[in-house]
Amino acid sequence: MLAQLRSWWRALTGQSRLAGEMTSEMDGHMERYAADLVAGGMAPEEARRRARIEFGSTAGAAEECREAVGLRWPNEIARDLSYAVRVLRKSPTFTAAAVATLALCIGANTAIFSVVDAVLLRPLPYPQPDRLFSVARHFRGKGSESYQTNLWGSAWEAVRDNATYLDSAVFSDGSMGVNFVAGGGVEYVKQQRVSAGFFRVLGIAPQIGREFSVEEDRKGGAPVTVLSYALWKRVFRGDPSIVGQAVALRGEPHTIVGVLPASFQSIVPADLWTPLRPSRSGEGEGSNYAIVSRLRSGATWARANGQMEAIGAPLMRQYAQDPSTRLQLISFQRGLTVDLRQPLLILWAAVGLVLLIGCVNIAGLLLARAAGRTREMATRMALGSGRGALIRQMLAESVVLGLCGGAAGALLGWLGVKALKVMTPASLNVWQAVELDWRVLGATACVSIAAGILFGLYPALAASRLEIRAALGEAGRAVAGGRNPWPRRLLVASEVALGVVLLVGAGLLIRTFAHLSGLNPGFDAHNVITAELSLQDARYSTTQSVDRLYEQSLARMRELPGVESAAVALSLPYERALNTGFQRLDGRHVDTESQITNMFYITPEFFRVLRIPLLRGRAFTAADSSTSAPAAIVSEAFVKMYMQGDDPIGRHLDFGGGEKRAIVGVVGDIQQKSGWGDGSPTAAMPDIYIPATQVEDKFISLVHTWFSPSWIVRSSGPSKGTISGMQRALESVDPQLPFAGFHSMEDVRYRALAQERFQAVLLGAMAGLALLLAAVGIYGLIANSVAERTRELGIRLALGATVPQAIRTVALPGVALALAGVMAGSVLAAFATQLLRRLVWGVRPGDPVTFVAVGIGLLGVAAAASFLPALRVVRLNPAETLRQE
Amino acid sequence: MGKQVDILQGTLDMLILKAVSLGPLHGYGILLRIQQISKDALQIPQGSLYPAMYRLEHRGWIAAEWGESENKRKAKYYRLTAVGRRQLKSERQEWKRLAAAIGDVLSAEPEGV
Repeated sequence: MLAQLRSWWRALTGQSRLAGEMTSEMDGHMERYAADLVAGGMAPEEARRRARIEFGSTAGAAEECREAVGLRWPNEIARDLSYAVRVLRKSPTFTAAAVATLALCIGANTAIFSVVDAVLLRPLPYPQPDRLFSVARHFRGKGSESYQTNLWGSAWEAVRDNATYLDSAVFSDGSMGVNFVAGGGVEYVKQQRVSAGFFRVLGIAPQIGREFSVEEDRKGGAPVTVLSYALWKRVFRGDPSIVGQAVALRGEPHTIVGVLPASFQSIVPADLWTPLRPSRSGEGEGSNYAIVSRLRSGATWARANGQMEAIGAPLMRQYAQDPSTRLQLISFQRGLTVDLRQPLLILWAAVGLVLLIGCVNIAGLLLARAAGRTREMATRMALGSGRGALIRQMLAESVVLGLCGGAAGALLGWLGVKALKVMTPASLNVWQAVELDWRVLGATACVSIAAGILFGLYPALAASRLEIRAALGEAGRAVAGGRNPWPRRLLVASEVALGVVLLVGAGLLIRTFAHLSGLNPGFDAHNVITAELSLQDARYSTTQSVDRLYEQSLARMRELPGVESAAVALSLPYERALNTGFQRLDGRHVDTESQITNMFYITPEFFRVLRIPLLRGRAFTAADSSTSAPAAIVSEAFVKMYMQGDDPIGRHLDFGGGEKRAIVGVVGDIQQKSGWGDGSPTAAMPDIYIPATQVEDKFISLVHTWFSPSWIVRSSGPSKGTISGMQRALESVDPQLPFAGFHSMEDVRYRALAQERFQAVLLGAMAGLALLLAAVGIYGLIANSVAERTRELGIRLALGATVPQAIRTVALPGVALALAGVMAGSVLAAFATQLLRRLVWGVRPGDPVTFVAVGIGLLGVAAAASFLPALRVVRLNPAETLRQE
Repeated sequence: MGKQVDILQGTLDMLILKAVSLGPLHGYGILLRIQQISKDALQIPQGSLYPAMYRLEHRGWIAAEWGESENKRKAKYYRLTAVGRRQLKSERQEWKRLAAAIGDVLSAEPEGV
């Protein structure tokens, strides 16, 4: 059996070689025979003739030989395909329509699949990625579950000490910009903080040197760093003696202990790594760590997970979590993509749906086409062609269509990937590049062939089921009602139904985006430039040094031409703010437990720069210094949440230091990434502002490991000089501090909704495509029925029917089908939109406005698509139509 | 040359296997060998020899190799494989049984029926 397969494969792949061999073998045979005849006394000429005659047809023998080695059906397929190409070239309009439809649908699938593949499917670029896991908190709500991978210090210690089936390490799951001084230059580089053993767990050995030791990963350990290959090449030109040398990082000398290999792909963009030094205090009190674990050899997931749940039970109780929360091991890839998974899968489903609609559409076209080819089919059957051969032939045509569409789709997909890369949130392009590689192309090829069979099978089966005599006797003219119109009508109705699902989904996401971007930002972004700067720097570990920097640099910036005001804040509107706990000390509400709020430290002009309205009390002034009474300003949302029915001014708050801080003012709300609460992408959160001068030293150095403070400058008009002026102003105060990049506040606002915009635009595009396809499907159906019923309509008109009556007769089925499709689709959409629950904000998944708008819009389009082709009836001349017969 | 008989359907395979069982041969050689053994009694249409040989090669009963023939020309030589040898053996037994059975039928006396 195996030998046979091998021989068949050899024959198939070497057809021309095989033909050559057969010819030379048979020629040799005839020559030898002729030579023997000559030896027997025959004339050479006559001998060759005899040899040829006795051998018989060499071509026939060769064909039989090919058949003997199993080359019959590949040859037939090749014949079918070449015939299919001929047939398709003869009807360029149909072919172009089908290929264009497929190209759009397959292109969309290719582009989205390349993202899905890179993020969710392709294994992580580390050895044995299937043995890498994340430790995650598993929440189970009503009909939904979710994972969170961020954990606190004591949870890490419990996992480290008790999870014996795992080799674990801990890391901070973002990267932060820090200042890096080497060779006289200063650079802003991305730093990720990871624990000892992080690279061992990932399975990556440094190219030179080593990773952090356990001693270096403790509080007070030696300051060390590991460089990325790219940074090592760029700054140190690949000098291998770099290990052991010192560089200034965050204003402190750090010893380089290792360089990672060029092939290493980081999970977040990073140029260098420093020890995390995990602890229970400071940042370890909050959920600021993520754990990566590798299963030890011999251990299984089930055992390790069981152990993890046991470790997690007391931890979850201790943190007063929802009692159903459990600690679980999920694949590391899943852990890295907890937030991306659902939106991506929804997009993937949407493009799949569009492809399905496209296939349904082409199936409809093929059915119509088959009606026109009845005679061809009947003739071929009459001439002895089997039904199987006909089906095979028609499937060959649809597969050729599929492949052409697939090729064009791959091209569109390639463009799509380029476009996606421009507009994707940065989180989509992380540990592996999103690209059109052989995996994606292979998937595209499979999808193309499958699509060809999917849309071709039913029309082929239907077309081959025919009565030869009737078909030939019909003389090529379709009689009204002679053909069953229902299969095509059902296809069109289901197309509309699928379109409804997509349109409703897109509508909800677009409404979400409109809602979020329509929320009052709470500030005036016009003519405001911001730049952030890492102060994770030993020289700025005290409030005094930081304040001096702020005061001096802001003073110089205010002197710049056109600059109206300038301030510094720990974080910006639309960004994620620091969360902190506090207790209310007096008034109607007094706390015994901590409450949560967002917190900013700011310099006095902050509210003026952003034009955030002061509603009550006063703003900060230069008089709010480290020696004056502690003051706080709160936002309206804070008052609403924590000071209901009370006068906030004069109330006191405690931030854990035992210090009483008085509320001196109330300001308007600003939009922020929520991070806690309902998890909405942006919301007006409860905020507390405190003067930058009144922050403790300990607090300053802690928050600066997570946040780079932002300088915010308002100009009187758009001025190009502001950016370079800000840079110069900073340099004149401290030449070793580089800004990380400048953005307008409008930019910051734009980026904040990147993911929502991305989802709305993509799903909107898919839904638009679906709408177009549905319209084309209805149009084609009605146009075809007008063409088929020309004679009948002619008779009706001749018998006194008016033109509007005739138009209605033809067009109404289209509208009726669309109505049926809309109703079925609405039911489907009611279920499907439940999947969007966590992506939809400011609108309910069952939003009646969206459903009604989609229904009415679709019916309108369907009516247009039905009446437009029906108008051809107007041009019908009854006398002429009847004479044609 | 005596009277020639057309060979039975299906027996050509067996004859080819037998011919190459005595040593590697090219296509024309197989033809000559069969004629020689059968003392020219069997008539083989020359063209039909090749599909049969390709079929046998495809099944793995004979193997082919390009070599040089007696007159310094390239020729494809066929030899029996181990599988082919077993096949030949079983076909020969089958043939003997069939021939004996047919012989018995034909030699039966009329009164015996």
